[in-house]
Amino acid sequence: MARLLVVEDDERIRTALIRALRDRGHAVSSAGTALAGLREAVEGRPELVVLDLGLPDLDGSELLRMLRAVSAVPVIVATARDDDQSVVQALDAGADDYVLKPFAAGQLEARIRAVLRRAAGGADAAAALVTVGPLTVDPRSRRVTHDGQPVELSPKEFDLLAYLAARAGTVVSKRELLSEVWQLPYGGSDKTVDVHLSWLRRKLGESAAEPRLLHTVRGVGVRLAEPGQ
Amino acid sequence: MRRQITLLVAATTSVVLLAFLLPAASLVASVAEARALDTARAQMQVLIPSVGLDERDQVTAALGGLSGGGRSVTVRWTDGAWLGTPGALGDAEAPVTPEVRKGADGTRLLQPVRRADGTAVLEMFVPEAQLRAGVTRTWLVLAGLGIALLLLALLVADRLARSLTRPVTDLAITAHRLGSGDLTARATPAGPVEVREVGTAVNRLAGRIGELLSAERESAADLAHRLRTPLTALRLDVESLPAAERERLMDDVDALNRGIDEVISEARRSVREGMGAECDAVEVVAARAEFWSVLAVDEGRPLRVDHPDGPIPVRVAAADLAAAVDALLGNVFAHTPPGTAIRVGVRPRPGGGAEVTVADSGPGLDAAAVERGQSGGGSTGLGLDIARRTAEASGGKLLLSSTDPGTRVTLHLGPVARS
Repeated sequence: MARLLVVEDDERIRTALIRALRDRGHAVSSAGTALAGLREAVEGRPELVVLDLGLPDLDGSELLRMLRAVSAVPVIVATARDDDQSVVQALDAGADDYVLKPFAAGQLEARIRAVLRRAAGGADAAAALVTVGPLTVDPRSRRVTHDGQPVELSPKEFDLLAYLAARAGTVVSKRELLSEVWQLPYGGSDKTVDVHLSWLRRKLGESAAEPRLLHTVRGVGVRLAEPGQ
Repeated sequence: MRRQITLLVAATTSVVLLAFLLPAASLVASVAEARALDTARAQMQVLIPSVGLDERDQVTAALGGLSGGGRSVTVRWTDGAWLGTPGALGDAEAPVTPEVRKGADGTRLLQPVRRADGTAVLEMFVPEAQLRAGVTRTWLVLAGLGIALLLLALLVADRLARSLTRPVTDLAITAHRLGSGDLTARATPAGPVEVREVGTAVNRLAGRIGELLSAERESAADLAHRLRTPLTALRLDVESLPAAERERLMDDVDALNRGIDEVISEARRSVREGMGAECDAVEVVAARAEFWSVLAVDEGRPLRVDHPDGPIPVRVAAADLAAAVDALLGNVFAHTPPGTAIRVGVRPRPGGGAEVTVADSGPGLDAAAVERGQSGGGSTGLGLDIARRTAEASGGKLLLSSTDPGTRVTLHLGPVARS
């Protein structure tokens, strides 16, 4: 589907990533050091680079700056540092998105697709707008309207709704939500997702007892669907 | 310090001034008196030959020109009659030698003069005003001089005190800023040598703290990298396994991941807090209770929140306290059936700090397991562990007790350190 370059010094991760991304139909090349990665990025002309920030020869954000000087290739940074400062630094240095270690291959692939879509331009802007019954979710402007009225959501509430809206009609597990929206490991009894769902319901003017859009499927997960479906 | 120095200088200057001015004032008075008496004596000396040798009429004539300026001179003739105004001596025995007699209104000089026909007495009266002529003015000048000197000394002392205290005050401000977490604060060494040295030492200390914190930040980042990199590899490997094994192993990977997150978060606490962790326990707990209240409504749980109106400052970063309260409330929601009542409370502790309680009327927890802070499959222990670490980092502790029915978790949070 796309030509990708993985710059990652840990051989096990590199191998596993190459395999996982190839399984998903991408052509993947790789590099184990920053300098090899830079050379490969310039010569191999990949469509997207997955860059580990903790490289042995050069700090990943340094490589990112050097890469930005010569190429506009989209970059997704993979980092083990989840403090805000590191993430902001990476984005400032020119990263298009980031994933926190440990990430799932599916999560990385979803981000690759999103970044490639964005890089392709605004052609799919209309496709990005999701309408579910009276609900409209616009991931670009991060705006939600319900029956034409704007709904004020917190950033996490928006991310949660946008994730569910993109999969409208299908049941999404809480584990998936925690992993994809929060980038947190699932603990089996985590109530973070539930409390955010409660807030979403309240802001959308419904309750758990009388759901219209957000339906809990006991023991499985949650589904966003048009009323009556 | 400034006040003390000024007071000290005022006291010493006053003592010195008094020690000089009082004798000077006394000297001025005696000099003036001596001068007036000398003048009077000199005038009397002029009369003595006349009284001794001349006739009565001639002496009377000579007396006329000598009185004046309040002074008066008179003579008691040998027969006891006064040639002029009668003197204070009256009819008393004539003194043998010259005498000075002090009275309330002035001083009288008595001078016996021997004549062939007996002893005549010259009496010169010098009024008090003449004895003290110019004394008051001199005293006023001296007092003015003293006050001027005292004011000058106070001014100089204040200047000196300010030059001493300003560097110390600057130093104190810097120390306070460092204490409240501003590690960029530096003192400008100034003032006396000792104070300059303290300033330099404080700067060096601040630099060292900054270095330690940044080293800790580095080591926390390094820890995150070292732990999460192999975990990523493990997770990617597990994902490629057949479905049945994948599900089972993924639970373990998630449990491991949560444990690692906790370790990293703990390692990062000092970096996160810097040197001045502080928040209002009431505000944070009330906000978190409000956040969870919607889920309580959805699950039919009565949620009661008790807190005082005023703030209770505690030595915990707001984010850490919020995470601890979230963990405790999340536990209650996860481990008690819907409909179970929840009570959240905050109240001040005697001696500072706050007591935060999260209680439920559910079936109760396995106290032994959670005391150890062990994380079971349901993560109960881990949630309590987060709260316990937060309480302990603030100088407090976590208490777990069984109520009938239910469980109560109490967090003792330490007060904000005040310098």
